[in-house]
Amino acid sequence: MSAADQRVRDDLNAVLDQGGRSSRAVVRIEQLHKAFGSLAVLKGVDLEVDRGEVVVILGPSGSGKSTLLRCVNLLEKPTAGDIFFEDVRITDPKVNINQVREKVGMVFQSFNLFPHLSAKRNVMLAQRQVLKRSKQEAERIALEQLEKVGLGDRVEYLPAQLSGGQQQRVAIARALAMDPHVMLFDEATSALDPELVRGVLDVMRSLAEAGMTMIVVTHEMGFAREVADRVIFMDDGAIVEEGSPLEVFDHPKHERTRDFLGHIA
Amino acid sequence: MLRDTAVRDGRLPRARATVSLRASTRAHLRLPAQPAAFARPSDRAARGTSARAAVLHSALLRSAVLRSAVLRSTVLLVLLVLLVLLLIPATRAFALTTDRVTAAPNQDGGRNIIGGEPTRLTWVGTVEEGEEVCGITLVFPEGCALTEDTYVKVQEMVMTDPQHPLHEELECSEDLTAERLIITLDDPIAAGNLLYVEIYKFCLPSLNGEVSITGSYVDDAGVEHELAPGPSISLIAITGTQRLINSLAQQDWVQAWNSVKFLNIFLNPLWIVAAVPSLFFGWLRSLGLVLLGFPLAIPVGLGIAFLRMSRFRLLRLVSSIYVNVIRGTPLFLQIYIAFFGLPLLGIKPNDYVLGILVLAMNSSAYLAEIFRAGIQSINKGQFEAASSLGMNGVQTMFFVIIPQTVRRVIPTMTSEFILLFKDTSLLAAVGVMEQMMFAKTLVNTAGNMTPYVVAACYYLIVTLPLTRIISIFEKKLAASEGREAPPPDKGEKSAKVDAGKRTKRVGLFKTIAPLSATDSAPMTSTSPERHASE
Repeated sequence: MSAADQRVRDDLNAVLDQGGRSSRAVVRIEQLHKAFGSLAVLKGVDLEVDRGEVVVILGPSGSGKSTLLRCVNLLEKPTAGDIFFEDVRITDPKVNINQVREKVGMVFQSFNLFPHLSAKRNVMLAQRQVLKRSKQEAERIALEQLEKVGLGDRVEYLPAQLSGGQQQRVAIARALAMDPHVMLFDEATSALDPELVRGVLDVMRSLAEAGMTMIVVTHEMGFAREVADRVIFMDDGAIVEEGSPLEVFDHPKHERTRDFLGHIA
Repeated sequence: MLRDTAVRDGRLPRARATVSLRASTRAHLRLPAQPAAFARPSDRAARGTSARAAVLHSALLRSAVLRSAVLRSTVLLVLLVLLVLLLIPATRAFALTTDRVTAAPNQDGGRNIIGGEPTRLTWVGTVEEGEEVCGITLVFPEGCALTEDTYVKVQEMVMTDPQHPLHEELECSEDLTAERLIITLDDPIAAGNLLYVEIYKFCLPSLNGEVSITGSYVDDAGVEHELAPGPSISLIAITGTQRLINSLAQQDWVQAWNSVKFLNIFLNPLWIVAAVPSLFFGWLRSLGLVLLGFPLAIPVGLGIAFLRMSRFRLLRLVSSIYVNVIRGTPLFLQIYIAFFGLPLLGIKPNDYVLGILVLAMNSSAYLAEIFRAGIQSINKGQFEAASSLGMNGVQTMFFVIIPQTVRRVIPTMTSEFILLFKDTSLLAAVGVMEQMMFAKTLVNTAGNMTPYVVAACYYLIVTLPLTRIISIFEKKLAASEGREAPPPDKGEKSAKVDAGKRTKRVGLFKTIAPLSATDSAPMTSTSPERHASE
C-alpha cells in the first residue's frame, strides 16, 4: 500500500469518524473485554480492520490474540465492549449471529474438517445448508475452491486420507466457498510439520494478493513481514504496539515487543 | 395355549435310558393323578334308579288292572308290551360296567397321551349286583402295538369298605395281542367289586383324536355279553422328533453317555433333541421382545440425551432423574413394579406389550447415556467449525455431530442390544412366555437341566455373531477416523503410492492404539501429520 493510499484512507477515516460510521471498516472492535471466570484475557482492545487489509496479530502465548480473533465471529462471547461487522453491532443479542458468521470465514489451528465427509463434501455442506445453494452449484464451487488451493486431485479423499497441510487447505477452501467478507486465521500453520507450512502460507499469500480482508494470528514472522499491511503486537490482553511490518519488526518502540521479537529471532 | 405348545413340543418317551428312570418317575408322580375307582359314580347311580323306577311302575300298573276287570284283557296286552319293553333293558343290563378307561400320559409331563408311544392303559369296571364275572375280552382300536416289555396286571378291588378298597392280584390267564386282550379268571369276581386291568408299556395308535376300547365279558353262567362303550381316550400323534428321540434312546452310546450323571443331567442327547424345536419358539419370542423393545428405546434414549444436555435446568434435572433412577435400580425390580403395580392402578396391558415397554424404558436410560457420551466425545472443534460456517444448532447436530456420533456409538449400542436381549429372560419372573420360561417349563417336566443348556445355545446364536459385528464396526470406525484409510480412487497412481506408505505406517499405529468406541481423541487434534506425509 502506497503512502498516498494511506493518506487517502486516513482522511476518509477522519471524515467518517465524525459521522460515527465507517463504510470501509469491515470489523471494528471497541473496548473489548473478555474474562474466563476471574481470568481477564482481553483488557480493553480497540481494533479496526478495513476492507482488503491484512492484519497480522503477534504476541506471546496467553496474550489473548486467539481470543480476540474468536471474539470477531463470537465463538467467544465478549464480557464487555462492542464489535461491529460491516457497521452492524454483532454484540447486540438481537443479531442473528449465524448470518454474520457465514460472512466471516475462519481457519483453525486444528483444521476441524468434518471427518465423515470427503474433501468435496466438507466444502459443499455449509453452502448447501446455509446458503441454500443447489447441489450442482455447491459442487462446482467446491471443485473450483479445491482447485484453487491445489487439491483438485484430492476431492474425494476423506480428511483422514489427507496430510495436515492438505487438510488445512481444504479447511481454507471450505471457508472461501462461503464467499466471506473477512477471513480469520487462527495459527493456521502451527500444527503443521515445517515442510508442510509453505503450501498453506502460499495459499494465504495469494488470498491476500487477491484482496481478501484477513486477520491472521501467526508465529510466521516471515509471512507477517511480507504479507501484512499492519502488524499488531499484543501482550497481556492488550495491544502493545501496532504499525506497518517495517515499523514493528525493524523499529519496535516498545520494550516488550523488542523482547518478543528478540526471542523469536 | 402357549403352555400347551411348549409342553407338547417337549414330549419324551416313557421308555428310555435306564439312568434317567428315577428322574422320570419323579416327573410322572408329579403329574395330576386321575381320580380313583369311583370316577363315574353318577352313571351307576342313574342306572340303579331307572331299574327301581321300572319295578315301581309295573306294580302300579298291575294294581290298576286288578281294579278294572273290564279292561283286563286290553291292559294285559299293554302290560305285556310294557313288561317286554321294560325287561328288554333289564335283561340287557350290563353286569360289568366300564368305569374308567385311561392311558397314562407318556412321561412328557403334559396331560397329553401320545399315540405310538408306550403308555399305561388302565381299564376299570364294576361287577354289578347279582352277577359274577369270569372273564373279559378288551378289544383295542386299530393301530395299537405291543413293546418288548408290555405286561398285564389284573387286580380285583374289593369294595367291602368303599373308603379303603383293597387291591388283590387275581389268578388268571392272559392272552394279549395288539388287537385284543383276553383274560380268563380262575375265580369269578364277586358282585360289587371292581375289575382293574392295567396294561403296561402298551402303544396306542399314533393319531390325533379319540379312541375307545370295546369288548365283552363272560358271566358266571358262561354267557358272553357285550361291554357297554366306555369313555374314550384323546390321543396325539407321534412326531418326527419323538421318533428320533425313540431311536436315540435305543442307541448304546446314548445310554453310555447318560450313565455319566453330569452328562445325563446337563447334556442329555434325548432332551437336546426334544428341547431344540420346542425352544426355537421361545427364542423367537425373546428375539421379538428385544427387536420391538430396542428400536423403541433408540428415539427415547436420543431424546433423553438431548434433554440431559439442554440449556434448561429443569429439563436437565428431570432427564437426569430418569436416567439415574432407571440405571440405579435392577431391571428385575422394574419388571416387578410394572407387572404388579400397574394392574393395581387399573392398567392391564398385554404381557408382551408391557414387557416390551419395560425393556424399552430400561434400555432408553442406558442408550441416553451412550448417546450423550457419544455426542460429547465429538471434538469441540467440530461445533466451532460448523458454527464458523454459519450453521445453526440443528444443522450442526444433523449434518456434523450425529453422523460422527453414530459411528462411535454403534459398537456400544450393539453391546447394549446384547445386554437387553439377555435381559428378556428376566421377564420369565412374571410369567411372560419367552425363552427362559420355555426352558423352565421343559426342565420342570423333564427333571433334567438339558433344556437350560439348549436355551443358552439359543442365546449364543444371537450374541456371538453380534460380538463379532462389534469388532468389525470398531475396525471400520478406526478406519474412518484416520487410523487406517484406503485411498478412494485406486486408479490414480500417485494416490496409490501415497496410500501404500500410509497403510504401512498406520498398520504400526493400529497395534499401538486401537480406537475404542469411547475414544474421543479426534484425529485432527495435535499432531495430524503423523499419519502421512505430503
